[in-house]
Amino acid sequence: MSAASLCALCLGTPVVPPHHLLGAVLDGEATLAGIVVTELRAPRLVLAITAGACLGAAGLVLQEALRNPLAVPEMLGVSSGAALGVAAPLVLALSLPAAAQPLLALGGAVLGGGLTLLAAGLGRSPSAVLLNGAAVAAALQAALLVLMVMADQLDLQLIYRYLLGSLSARTWDDVAGVWPWLLVAAPALVLCAPVLSVMRLGDADAEALGVRAQRARLAALAIAVVLIAPVTAVCGPVAWVGFLAPHVARWFSPGAGAVRWLVWSAAWGAVVVAVADVPARLALAPVETPAGAWTALLGVPAGVALMRTRRRSRTTGGGGAVRVPSAGPRTPETAETTDRAPGGARSPSSLDITGAEGAR
Amino acid sequence: MRRRFAVLVALAVVCAGAELVAGRGLSPATAWDVLTGGGDATERHILFQLRIPRMLVALGAGAGLAVAGLVLQSALRNPLAGPEVTGVTPGAVLGAVTATALGLAGWESPLAVVVAACAGGCAGALLLWLLAGSTGGDPARTAVHGVLVSAVLGGFTAMVLLVEPGELGSVVQWLVGTTEGRVWEHWHLLWPWALLWGAAAWLLTGPLTLLRCGDDTARAAGLSVHRARALALLCAVALTAGAVAAVGALGFVGLLVPHLAVAVFGADLRSALPGAAVLGAVVVCGADAAAQLSSRLLADTLDAGRLTLPVGAVTACLGAALLLVVVRRAPDRTY
Repeated sequence: MSAASLCALCLGTPVVPPHHLLGAVLDGEATLAGIVVTELRAPRLVLAITAGACLGAAGLVLQEALRNPLAVPEMLGVSSGAALGVAAPLVLALSLPAAAQPLLALGGAVLGGGLTLLAAGLGRSPSAVLLNGAAVAAALQAALLVLMVMADQLDLQLIYRYLLGSLSARTWDDVAGVWPWLLVAAPALVLCAPVLSVMRLGDADAEALGVRAQRARLAALAIAVVLIAPVTAVCGPVAWVGFLAPHVARWFSPGAGAVRWLVWSAAWGAVVVAVADVPARLALAPVETPAGAWTALLGVPAGVALMRTRRRSRTTGGGGAVRVPSAGPRTPETAETTDRAPGGARSPSSLDITGAEGAR
Repeated sequence: MRRRFAVLVALAVVCAGAELVAGRGLSPATAWDVLTGGGDATERHILFQLRIPRMLVALGAGAGLAVAGLVLQSALRNPLAGPEVTGVTPGAVLGAVTATALGLAGWESPLAVVVAACAGGCAGALLLWLLAGSTGGDPARTAVHGVLVSAVLGGFTAMVLLVEPGELGSVVQWLVGTTEGRVWEHWHLLWPWALLWGAAAWLLTGPLTLLRCGDDTARAAGLSVHRARALALLCAVALTAGAVAAVGALGFVGLLVPHLAVAVFGADLRSALPGAAVLGAVVVCGADAAAQLSSRLLADTLDAGRLTLPVGAVTACLGAALLLVVVRRAPDRTY
C-alpha cells in the first residue's frame, strides 16, 4: 500500500525522488515538483484510495446481503445511470452551466440506484433482487448505447473513457465532492455490519434471530448505492474492484466474520485501485490509460488465481451446490452437496453460484 | 405441440413481413407491389438488395443465438449461462474489433470479420475451458469463470479501442448489436454456418437432455459426460460466433429466449431446441421491426434526421422488462 502510494507520488514527469518528496510537499506552490505533487498527484492518490475503499466495501455488502459471489456493484444500475447522466447532455448538445456537470453524473447514479431499489422491492429472495438489479442495469445500458450510437466521434471517446473508469486530471475539488457522502455512508456501514453476519445464515435463520431479512437486504442495497454513487460520478465505474476486493479479503482471513471482512475488503479495494492507477498513468506515457481497464485486465486474473489456490489448499474443494432451474428436471441437490463436501464442511466463503443455502 | 409450432411459425412470418415494411422509403403498398413483380428500379433495389437480406440475417442470427443459449444452459446446467456470460460473445466482439483495428478486416470484407469473430469466440471459450476444465466440468465454477473471462475480454476490447480510437464509431455498433446495412454477402456467410451447427445441435439433443438431469444421472445412463459437454460447448460457440459476426452482440437473446422456449415447449430438447430457434428468430426480427418503426416515429416527433435505434437496444430493454416480469411472477425461486 505505502509502496504504491510512494510510486504514485514519485513517478511520472517530473520524477520526484522519495527523499525529495517531503521537501517538495513543504515547498508547496514554490517549485514545479511541489505543485505537481500537491495539486495533481496527491488528490489523485486520495481519490484512488477513497474510491477503492468505497467500491470494496460496497462489493462486500452486496455479496453478503445477496449471498452471491457474483453480486458486483456493476449489477446495480448505478454506474450505467451515472454514465447516462454524463452522456445525455453531451450527445443531445444541451448547454448546461459547468457547475451542473458533476451533479448530473451524481443524479444519474442516484436515479439508477433508486430504480434498482424500487425494482428490488418486488423480489423477495436474494437471487430475485440480484436479477432485478441486473435487469435495471441492462435497461439503462441499452439507453446509454442508443446515445452512443447517436454520438459523434469526439463525444464517443469522452463517454467511453468515462465508462472505463479513469482517474486522470482529478483535483481536490473532486475529492471534496465525495467526502459528504462518505460521512453518511460510514456510520450506516458500521451499523449494518453486524446484521450482515447474521444475514449469511440464510433468510429463515436470520428471521428467527430477529432480523427482518427483506428490509435488511434493502437497507444494505441502499448503503451500497450511497457508497458507489459518488465514486462513480467522479471516477466512472472502475471495473471489478467490488468483485475482487471482497474475495481477496476472504482469502487472507477465511475465518473472520463479516465485520472484519468489511474492513479488509475496503482496504484491499483501496490497494487495488491505487496500484492499478500507477500503470494507468505510466504504461503508455504520455497517453494515460483508464485505471478501469487495468483493474479489469490485472485484477480479474488475480481473482481467478486466488480462487484456484484456495481451492487447492482445501482438499474438499469447497461446496458447490448448484441450484438448477425448476424448469429442468429437479435433481437431488442436497445429496450432491454432501457428496462434494464431506462432513458438511461447507465453508461459508466457498463460491457457489446461487449462494442460497436452502432457506426454502 | 404441433399447434404451438404452427402459431410460432405464423408469428415468424408476420414479423418478417413487418420487418420488410417497417423501414423508411417504402410504404406497405409499394412493398407488396414490388413483391408481386411491379415497382421501379429503386424500389426493387431497396427491397431485394437491402430489406430482404436484412430480414434474413435478423432471422438467422436470432435463431443461432437462441439455440446457442439453450445448448449452453443445458450443458452447463446453469440457467444464467447465456453466450454473453460464458466469454463467447465478448470473445467474438474482441476478435471482430481486433481484426478491424489491425486493418485485416473492414466493412467491405464481411468474410474476414466472420472469421475473426469465430476465432475470437473460440478463443474466449477456450480460455474458459482452460480455466474451468481442470475442475471437472463443475457447472457452478464454469459459470463463475465465464463471467471472469467475459470481463477480461471486455478489458482487452477496451484496450484495443483505446489504442485505435478511430474505430470507436464503427465498433460501438458491434457492442450494441444492429442489423443496419446487412446485405446478401452477410446472409450467404451466415446460413451455411448456422445450418451446419444447428444440425449438430439437433444431433446432440439426446445427450443434452440427459446432461440437464445432472452428471450422475447422465453417467448412470451410459453417457460420456465430458465428451458430450465439450461437443455441446463447441456447438454453442460456433453458433454464437456466427451470429455475433453477422449482427454484433445482441443483448439478452441468448439468455432469455431459451427460458421462454422451455416454458412454451417443455424441457424435452427435441421440441424445445427447434422451438428456441423459431422463437429467437421471431424475437430478433420483431425487435428489429419495432426498432425501425419507433426510430421513424421518434425521428418524426423529435425532428432529428439521423436517429436510428439499434435492434440491440430494443432486445436489451425487452429482456430487462421480461426479467422483471419473470422475477415478479416467481419471487421465491432460486436462480
